[in-house]
Amino acid sequence: MSGRRTVVTGLGVIACNGIGVDEFWRANREGRSGISAIDAFDTTGFASTIGGQVRGFDPARYMPADTAKRVDRFVHFGLACADMALADSRLNVAAEDTERIGVIIGSGLGGLLFHEEQMVAAFDRGLHRINPSSVPRISPNAVASQIGIRYGFKGPNLVISTACASGANAIGEAFRKIQHGEVDLCLTGGVEAPLTPFNFAAYCSMRILSKNNGQPAEASRPFDATRDGFVMGEGGAVLVLEEREHALRRGAPILAEVLGYASNSGAHHMVIPDAQGTDGARVMASALRDAGLSRVDYINAHATSTKANDAAETKAIKLVFGADAHHIPVSSTKSMIGHALGAAGAIEAVACVQALREQFIPPTINLTHPDPECDLDYVALHGRAAKIKTILSNSFGFGNCNVALVFAAPH
Amino acid sequence: MTNQEIEQKVKEILSKKLDVEPGKIALETRLAEDLGVDSFGAVELMFEIEEAFGLKIPDSEIEHVRRVGDIVTYLQGWLEKQPKA
Repeated sequence: MSGRRTVVTGLGVIACNGIGVDEFWRANREGRSGISAIDAFDTTGFASTIGGQVRGFDPARYMPADTAKRVDRFVHFGLACADMALADSRLNVAAEDTERIGVIIGSGLGGLLFHEEQMVAAFDRGLHRINPSSVPRISPNAVASQIGIRYGFKGPNLVISTACASGANAIGEAFRKIQHGEVDLCLTGGVEAPLTPFNFAAYCSMRILSKNNGQPAEASRPFDATRDGFVMGEGGAVLVLEEREHALRRGAPILAEVLGYASNSGAHHMVIPDAQGTDGARVMASALRDAGLSRVDYINAHATSTKANDAAETKAIKLVFGADAHHIPVSSTKSMIGHALGAAGAIEAVACVQALREQFIPPTINLTHPDPECDLDYVALHGRAAKIKTILSNSFGFGNCNVALVFAAPH
Repeated sequence: MTNQEIEQKVKEILSKKLDVEPGKIALETRLAEDLGVDSFGAVELMFEIEEAFGLKIPDSEIEHVRRVGDIVTYLQGWLEKQPKA
């Protein structure tokens, strides 16, 4: 590892169980679900009708009204989270060399909502009536570009799209860019606004969403024997990552350190994870090696609440830690917020930083029927105070994209 | 549609989707072991059968399908329950 260390100096988050770090963390601490019946569109006839829909979010609170009107919902999430994160890190942009500030955001799907609206318009009114702003609104990199434009950040600006690993992948790449000296500060994270009619129907037809429509708050139940699929969520998170000396010089709040990162591919199937957990184990082991650790105090699991993922991830954790796996608390914040696809890894990174700051492990709610295949300490039902210096966070995406991040308390 | 016609149609769908000669598909042929259909392949296959026969197959049924004959039996049962024209 090079001499340049990377710290987290600001957080911004939007999830279905809380907007802003304080509200989000309180909900996670208390084990409060944000899953509800979707009313963003008509779900009549859909096999699944529930999701982690973000409510009470007013984009105009975080960006000029003119911008709010001209971007897709996934960019609303990105701009709002960036605004919160920058305020949290107390960055005086005017005093910075903006060519040394990057923006790297993850998004699996880009501007779907506007895309779908325009497709409907195309069928209704003809292809000559397409909105001229379609291209810049739909493009996945709109989110990083809009953040760059808003604050004048002129360093590397990119979007990483690795399905459900996007957010974690983005954070990892931002970490590397700081470590390697390419930038001194980077806004990074992930956003997703996938609760749109076509996209939701497409996931329904894959038969991987929970159909526990009668009990939305209990539908996302990672590691539980009765789990029946994941619950799709939306939202985003942005972290300010900063080279440690740079942060110390400007007196920035140092919330945590990024210690390690790895990504790999299972190279085996577009949607089926490796049942033996070997790819997941490999990426966790690489991230630990990168961090110079052999063990961590807590694992924030990918844990989607699908039969396949949770069993394979449990195997992967055992492959890495052996008998010690039973002594490391593992939890799934997706039990409360569902699976926000490309935003998930970034939202979970915020949960990890908060867990380090507050020395508290958020619970896996709804775990009431233990699954013999999932036999680790999942911090079931109630969160717990614990001494935590290091955390491993997993993110696995369709296409066999695997990412692991290691966070540490400031030291 | 007779039982034989259902069986024929299912075999045709399988043969086309999996590039297997129709003669090599029997009722006792196993989807996973003999034809290499994985869990997602099964979801795709059921979609094609739904399209061809015009029905919705619940997830619980997919979990029980092991052999070609299981699909045929399910479709026969479904057809018997349809109101006769």
